[in-house]
Amino acid sequence: MALAADRDPHVSWAPDRERRTGVAASVRGVSKRFKKSRILEDISFDVAEGESLVLLGASGSGKTTILRIIAGLEQPDQGRVILHGKDVTDLPARERGVGVIFQAYALFPRMTVEKNIGYGLKIRRLPRKERRETVNRLLKLVQLEEHRKKYPWQLSGGQQQRVAIARTLAYKPQVLLFDEPFGALDAQTRVKLRREIRSLLKQVKVPAVFITHDQEEALELGDRIAVLNDGHLEQIGTPDEVYNQPATEYVATFLGAANLLLGVVTQGCVEIGSARLPAARETARFREGQSVKLVFRPEDICVSQDANLPEGCRRLANGVIEEVNFVGSYERLNVRLDLTHRRQAEHEPPLYQVTINTPERMTGVPIMVTRPKPKGNATRYKAGDRVAVGLTSFSVLPNYTLARQR
Amino acid sequence: MKISAIRHVSGFDVARPVSIGVMLGIMLPLVLLPLLSIFIFGTSKGLGTFWSALVAPDAIFALKLSIVTSFWATLFNVTFGLFAAYVLSRYDFWGRNAVIVTISLPTAIPTAVAGFALLLLWGKYGMIGKFFSERHQVMFTPYAIILANIFVTFPLAFGVIKPVFDTMSRSLEEASATIGATRLQTFWHVTLPSLRGAIVSGALLTFARAVGEFGSTILVSGNLAGRTQTAPLYIYAKFNEGQIEAANAIAIVLALLSFVIFSVLFFARDWLEFETQEA
Repeated sequence: MALAADRDPHVSWAPDRERRTGVAASVRGVSKRFKKSRILEDISFDVAEGESLVLLGASGSGKTTILRIIAGLEQPDQGRVILHGKDVTDLPARERGVGVIFQAYALFPRMTVEKNIGYGLKIRRLPRKERRETVNRLLKLVQLEEHRKKYPWQLSGGQQQRVAIARTLAYKPQVLLFDEPFGALDAQTRVKLRREIRSLLKQVKVPAVFITHDQEEALELGDRIAVLNDGHLEQIGTPDEVYNQPATEYVATFLGAANLLLGVVTQGCVEIGSARLPAARETARFREGQSVKLVFRPEDICVSQDANLPEGCRRLANGVIEEVNFVGSYERLNVRLDLTHRRQAEHEPPLYQVTINTPERMTGVPIMVTRPKPKGNATRYKAGDRVAVGLTSFSVLPNYTLARQR
Repeated sequence: MKISAIRHVSGFDVARPVSIGVMLGIMLPLVLLPLLSIFIFGTSKGLGTFWSALVAPDAIFALKLSIVTSFWATLFNVTFGLFAAYVLSRYDFWGRNAVIVTISLPTAIPTAVAGFALLLLWGKYGMIGKFFSERHQVMFTPYAIILANIFVTFPLAFGVIKPVFDTMSRSLEEASATIGATRLQTFWHVTLPSLRGAIVSGALLTFARAVGEFGSTILVSGNLAGRTQTAPLYIYAKFNEGQIEAANAIAIVLALLSFVIFSVLFFARDWLEFETQEA
């Protein structure tokens, strides 16, 4: 069900504020501790006017705390929260004018749909007539006109969510904050609702911050994605940037599957065992001999049974196919590269030595390869086939031996 | 599969009528008959006798006094119980659990002990009472009855309201705050409506208990007919004087009152929990 277009051109649900900066909300150097444990460390980001930003992180990464700090439900130990140019760090939640869509929607159970939506206006003591007009317009916008007299428990999850959104839009929020908005719904409804919300947000032009642990959801909902790990910001960028140029190993592995190999920068190449992978652009920021991590996605790997890899594919190593799986829309291959972990001396970067995999002895480093259906049908592989392995794209990350060496 | 002496699945199950019969047989003399006998005895000499016993001035006064004192005690305990439940559920402080236990204590204390304790505190030579002049003494006045009722019924409303506060999702109040409501507005529009069922049932329980209070009342009220004699005390006094009909008439009224209150609690439970706001 698509959401009704708001036909009245004069109605905007975005806040009536001058947009001099184009920045709707910004979080500046926010830190938060709880007792001895650090929850957030020096988090800074901006949300542009009309933009959707997704805070993506595992549970315990601090993403909910950021949301609560923006909403004013929690105080940061350090740092500021700025909404449309105004520092609101010291303002209580009710004076900030942000709209929070809580995980379970937090609709008022003793109020009907229309009373829930009109609550913010009633609190602001708007005249009854004006309240009714706004509620009617919002009911139309979220297509709940025939449900106006119902109570929250009589609505489906998706309808409840639309009430929750309308309830915040009523008072023209500075920013909408969505706390795991699809957590309580089944998989099919999720996909449908996220498209609905996306188109609704494009209509109302209110900037939004989502928090989620679901990478697929993040890629679909966000104009930009901020990846959080253990209280700090790993990377912030468009879905394309974050997925294809992950800044850290955590980002690479959290957003989708990724293979990881260790190497050393040598003359514009990444040396991995005996293999030399040409990577002039990717290694430009590293010094000669620096220990690096090579990160590449399963779909960026090409395999070939003859020595000639397709155009644009840089040769990595040879390997043996260990397993072939059909996973619906694509095919998954487990490949053992002809490389094994070398026992390394102390202070020496961990590297690989050459090994030859045989069907009896699979000792090489395993990688995961995915191939789209047409490719899988064109050349069929079976376990035990020897192949040449190349990469179409990959990223090179510094290999810190200590996790906190950033 | 030879062992099928007891048939659980189909056919006539002997256990059913037997267990129901045993249950009713035990309940009959212990619970049902005593209640029934009040009505049988009370109306055995005709409704005229019952009526004249009921409208005797002292009887009317006793009923009124019981209802009025119970009303004030209920009002206080629900209001303060609500406040105490809010404080104890929202704020954590040193000694909080001790306070929660103490609040619930009066249910476990014999009512005579409660009355005696109040006498020691508020009596003419008591810790607080000694600061009051002769004319302003609290004990042996209707105020003493209210005090006793408050003490004895205190945990009831609190006990019903507190769990609702504890299980109430904080996100409702947080949502209200982010929407722009003050604490007072949030309490009035969001918190209180969710508590309505608990408040009504807490009030009914408190009132029912207070109307029937005997042990503490007889110690602190002085039991003066027409002045500080509540309905239960009237029953006891008339019984001692041998005026069984007079005692019985009031007993019927009190029993009916309890029936009404508990029927409301029982049958209106769904309404109290799920009733929705006026359209």
